[in-house]
Amino acid sequence: MPVIHVFVKQVPDVSTLEYDPSSLGPRLEKATLRLGEVDLVALEAAVRIKERMGGEVVVISAGERVNELVLREALAIGGDRCFYVSDPRMAQADSWVTANVLAQLSLRAGKADLLLCGEASSDQGNYQLGPRLSEILGYPCITYATQLELSGEKLRVRRNLEDKVETFECGLPAIVSASLELAAPRLPSLLMIRAASRKPITRLEISALGLSDAMLESGIVRRSVRVTKTSRKNQVLKGDTGECAVKLIESLQKEGVLAI
Amino acid sequence: MKKALLIAEDISELSELRAVAAELDAVEVEAMGPEDLQNTPALERFGLTRLYTSTSWSEDPAESLGKMLAELISGSGAELVLGVSRKRLKDVFARAAQILKSPLLTDCLSATWSDGELVVERPTLGGGYVENLVVKKFPTLLALQQRGRQISDLSGKAPEVVRLEGKFSGVRAPRLISSEAVSRSGVDLAKSRIIVSVGRGFKRKEDLKLAEELAKLLGGELACSRPIASDMGWMPEDRHVGLSGKWVSPSLYLAIGISGQVQHMVGVRNSRIIVAVNNDPSAPIHREADYSVVADLYEFIPALVRELKARSARPSG
Ligand SMILES: Cc1cc2nc3c(=O)[nH]c(=O)nc-3n(C[C@H](O)[C@H](O)[C@H](O)COP(=O)(O)OP(=O)(O)OC[C@H]3O[C@@H](n4cnc5c(N)ncnc54)[C@H](O)[C@@H]3O)c2cc1C
Repeated sequence: MPVIHVFVKQVPDVSTLEYDPSSLGPRLEKATLRLGEVDLVALEAAVRIKERMGGEVVVISAGERVNELVLREALAIGGDRCFYVSDPRMAQADSWVTANVLAQLSLRAGKADLLLCGEASSDQGNYQLGPRLSEILGYPCITYATQLELSGEKLRVRRNLEDKVETFECGLPAIVSASLELAAPRLPSLLMIRAASRKPITRLEISALGLSDAMLESGIVRRSVRVTKTSRKNQVLKGDTGECAVKLIESLQKEGVLAI
Repeated sequence: MKKALLIAEDISELSELRAVAAELDAVEVEAMGPEDLQNTPALERFGLTRLYTSTSWSEDPAESLGKMLAELISGSGAELVLGVSRKRLKDVFARAAQILKSPLLTDCLSATWSDGELVVERPTLGGGYVENLVVKKFPTLLALQQRGRQISDLSGKAPEVVRLEGKFSGVRAPRLISSEAVSRSGVDLAKSRIIVSVGRGFKRKEDLKLAEELAKLLGGELACSRPIASDMGWMPEDRHVGLSGKWVSPSLYLAIGISGQVQHMVGVRNSRIIVAVNNDPSAPIHREADYSVVADLYEFIPALVRELKARSARPSG
């Protein structure tokens, strides 16, 4: 029965994130925290395998100021236990540091047959975790998965590139990074949420992971983050559909953007 | 800035990356790409000292290409490695970066030197924000968004062509079972002046005809939100607009049945006029539109088409 490690990240909900009008930076301290969208897709894919084949789903996470309530959501959806690191150093972590930390966490959490992550986090969107884990752990990795089938020890994965669709097969252990399209994440029921409160969550210290300073040293420093807003006219056209059609055409003609 | 290595799939990528390397004052520039790059006419105008070609670049698994690239980078002594941000390239770059203990920045909007520091801009937080990052470790790998930049002719000698023998034995990689080319529209949406874009407000694939007819009347191109291409497969991937798709800048962007999530809007922010047609008055797109029509698209689009037809039938005036 497969043991699956799923990597999830606590991120600000970007759909409700507000910015500070004077600095134009995001108000991260006020943001609603959630799990990354594609991470939930990866988790859903893992839980579906467990429902069919048995086994275990282990949730792995690292971040600064991680809130266990956010991780509990992953357990409510079907994770069995969770290993995580919460450390201020993760605030400046680049993909190099993140992959080093998560690989060690995964090794501490025990043997895995399949490692699943999202193709990119909802906040930084670096698209690197799967391939970097692959280099560290020496397991093959298939990125951007849109379909995944596990039968026995054989994994079959389909992925979309810009100009082609590819299908791969490989043995275990293996790493797969999920695309948004891999699976539609379920919403946990109240029952599942209650059951999750009894599942074990283990917090490890970053210093206990046996990583050298070099492996924890980020190669980049974030200097600023600014909102990209363009001001718009925000005119709502009123009237029945026929009137709106006329008003729209006339407005667009006035703007000079219609050829007719 | 001393030395740059460009990883190009084709000649237009090479030209774009060479332009970026020039902006970054690279004193020596090498490139790597598929074998047929060496047949490019007037290769000397790219100002390259060396061109590495690989027969297996387009077929080998990322597992071996990452190793090959890492060796090439350390062997060449390049401090800056540039490529165009495509899915497969990001995969190979991430591997090479991990081997070299290097940073990789993906989907970069720009890279410049400022007071001796390399500063990179990239989208973040779903695309609603831009972050400025200072690079502290070299070599550094940058996967840049394609922008259609081109070099003007650089004088120089023809590059020395070096053939790379790929194939790393003993690499554990997934086995490729099948590969099908997907249909592409071939349209360069980045250059379109009028774009009619459709979202999940459309209930069936057949209904896209409504938008097609409108696009034809307006002389525009059809585009879509990500789920219409990736989830439903109703349109080719190269028509999908947004963070993970095309970034467009038409004079008119008409969004029909699109909710306006940040990951979509980042791709259309440079449009001059945005029109939203959405029956939900609280849909976020209305806050980012110049003109909003709160209506059922199945009633409004036919009405708009009728009105446009009536006008083109009437003598202008
Ligand atoms: C990492 C990541 C990257 C992403 N990249 C992209 C990207 O590049 N591009 C992209 O588009 N998305 C992207 N997304 C997805 C994005 O978050 C949204 O899910 C997506 O844009 C929604 O598409 P939509 O607006 O077509 O669908 P929906 O959000 O479902 O909106 C449909 C809209 O249609 C309206 N509607 C329904 N019926 C009618 C009717 N009869 N008449 C009029 N209106 C109607 C509804 O009110 C609704 O607002 C990304 C997400 C993630 C996490």
